[in-house]
Amino acid sequence: MKRNADLRLAAYFGPGDILPHCGELSRDEIVRKLVEDVYRSGSVPPVGIEESVKAVLDREQDGSTVIMDGLALPHARIAGLAEPRIAVATSERGVVWPGEESAVHVVFLLLIPQDKPALYLQILRALTTALKDDATLRTVAAMTNAGDIHRFFESGKAYLPRYITAADIMARDFLTLKDSDTLQTCVDTFIRHQVSEVAVLDRDGDLKGVVRAGELLRVCLPEYLLWMSDLSPIANFEPFAQVLENERRTWLSEILVKEFPVVSPDTPAVQVAGEMTRYKSSKCYVREGGKLVGIVRLPKFLNKIFRE
Amino acid sequence: MKFNPKILFLALVVLVVSLGGRACGLASNFTQTTTLAVFAGVIATTLFFWERRVAAAFIGVSVLIATHAMTLQSILKATELDIIFFLVGMMIVVGVLKDLGFLTWVIQSIINRRNMTGVSFTAILCVLSAVLASVVDEVSSIVVVLALVFQVCDMLKLRPHPFVLIAVMATNIGSSATMLGNPVGIFIGNKAGLTFAQFLVGATPVALASLCATLAITVFWFRKDIRAMTLAMARHRRMGLGPVLEIPYRTGLFILLATVSVIAFHHQIEHALALGGAENKNAFLIMTPLIVAGILMICRPSRARHYVEKDVEWWTLLFFMLLFAIAGSLNEQGITQNLADELTSHVKGGPKGMIPFVLVLASLGSAFVDNIVFVAAFTPVIQELVARSADYSVLWWALLFGACFGGNITVVGSTANIVASGLLEKHGHNPIRFGTWFRLGALVGLVTALIAWAMLTIFPSPRPASAEPVPEVQQAEPAELPSLNG
Repeated sequence: MKRNADLRLAAYFGPGDILPHCGELSRDEIVRKLVEDVYRSGSVPPVGIEESVKAVLDREQDGSTVIMDGLALPHARIAGLAEPRIAVATSERGVVWPGEESAVHVVFLLLIPQDKPALYLQILRALTTALKDDATLRTVAAMTNAGDIHRFFESGKAYLPRYITAADIMARDFLTLKDSDTLQTCVDTFIRHQVSEVAVLDRDGDLKGVVRAGELLRVCLPEYLLWMSDLSPIANFEPFAQVLENERRTWLSEILVKEFPVVSPDTPAVQVAGEMTRYKSSKCYVREGGKLVGIVRLPKFLNKIFRE
Repeated sequence: MKFNPKILFLALVVLVVSLGGRACGLASNFTQTTTLAVFAGVIATTLFFWERRVAAAFIGVSVLIATHAMTLQSILKATELDIIFFLVGMMIVVGVLKDLGFLTWVIQSIINRRNMTGVSFTAILCVLSAVLASVVDEVSSIVVVLALVFQVCDMLKLRPHPFVLIAVMATNIGSSATMLGNPVGIFIGNKAGLTFAQFLVGATPVALASLCATLAITVFWFRKDIRAMTLAMARHRRMGLGPVLEIPYRTGLFILLATVSVIAFHHQIEHALALGGAENKNAFLIMTPLIVAGILMICRPSRARHYVEKDVEWWTLLFFMLLFAIAGSLNEQGITQNLADELTSHVKGGPKGMIPFVLVLASLGSAFVDNIVFVAAFTPVIQELVARSADYSVLWWALLFGACFGGNITVVGSTANIVASGLLEKHGHNPIRFGTWFRLGALVGLVTALIAWAMLTIFPSPRPASAEPVPEVQQAEPAELPSLNG
């Protein structure tokens, strides 16, 4: 994807917003200090310091913001804020971060305007690209001078992408079934994992379709029964008994749905939203070279855009 | 945007028809040539760009008005609203039948049958397709019958394709048996001034004979698949073909029988109500589905909106209206009169000599464009011929059978074929290949056309009152009825 020269990460903070070697401070103390730094430099956010600190710590309570080993991204969405504000703290020895096993060496505090939903994800991507491995992270953490740290982000690869993509918001862990699996396996999977939709792969591992709980009901209740508005003649689930007898002989290849939302990893996130809306689906499958590489789930998507 | 070579074909068709029409004497001035070009353009669009047919019809109608080929009033008059009302009413009645479980019961009563074989299933499928198509309509019929085919084939793990083809062929043939079966039927019946009973007497024997021939051909053609079904059914005997259910059907059956019965006696009712004259031609035939639909919607108010919005194929009906209007322009511009002159001077042997000509033309035409398109185009020509001599009224039947039976030749030959292909794909199966369809379709089309030709030539066909030189007011005279059926 093309980088956007106007959206350099370093443009959102200066050397004055960097706190090198923050020493023995706790997470909450670091957050408070960084928020105070933000209020000291540049335009003052429309809410008070205490309110911002509380918003950041409340977000931490919902779940750790450590996005990769050694890097934390405490953040909050602030109503009325015009531009994102960033403050950075580093620690060569590491800060103990509640809920995390390993210590955090670089802390990026973000205050993001509430009306710019994608910004957090764009900054997240810029950061993970710039601090792509442990060695780079440790190099930044070892820097003693705020100017050096700022220059690192200014000269490195820390650009905000023009837009966030499916790859930024997709989950990489997912359940799959094979098209040679039976209906019995599928029903068992749905019940055991409490899911209502699973991707189906062929024997080469290529994504062939999905099976949905709704489609299973359709197998049990043939279309000609659903023509009736009153289903009392089948009140005792008689058609289900027939399917039960047949479930070991019914292959997923017979019932899988071939029309479902599917995108490539570099598809803009808004296009992903469009596909989910078009198919009235709560999932969008991310495929690369025929293989399933991730799934965008609607609740996670909404969380990333509106809340995180 | 990538250039689609079909656009070139479309332009070529329009050019050939327009210039050919001028060369043959069908069109002699600019307005007539434009009318021919618009008509050819819309027909060619249904052939090359099926999804854009309504858009083409919109533009076609506008061009006709803009070029003074038709006035706004004549366009509105030519939309055949009576036929559209009839179809709307019937679609709502069929929607209610589905809703009440009657059509489910039809499927269920076959699934519940024990000791079926491949041959008996095929015979039942053929008869059911034809009967349903003749009393509801071809599209509703194919949807119901294919639900049965998919249920049975899914259960037996068999390819549904042969049985889909059998069902479609029987549906197209059955749809010609009554005025209710096919939009073509009500269109021709209404244009010819035939009563429901006359139509039944004229069409059903030919449809029946053609159905028997089709059954024989398809049983032989698909003998291996039918044998495989017999074996699968024997293996599956213990499990059955689907859930054994008792579906209430009496209300639905009553509604259907009542509707068909009232339609069957529409002529007598029109006479009793003094609904005579050209203004009220087949008035009660058109009104009956509307009355029944109205009563049903009063009885089921919570579902009324659903019936109107979901069960009526508004897209198709809109296309029909515009198409009828465009076909009407051929008549308005005198093109059909010119064509009738050309036909009578070139096709020798009088009305009987023209039967095979119309049969072949209608069959081939309907094989490649929707049959209603062809019928709408050819109707004014036959009207013109009938106006010259009542003996030409036999051509109404040739047109009907050609259009319905010709629909079997290709996958795009009729709406039922297209719906069946769509359902096949929706159920995750590969579509039937053009060649596979064509080989069987051409054979069935040829045999059934020969049957229709023979029967129309040998047996006298009912002649509509409008074909007689007497004015249509006398159509309502009761003394006329026996001679009509002769």
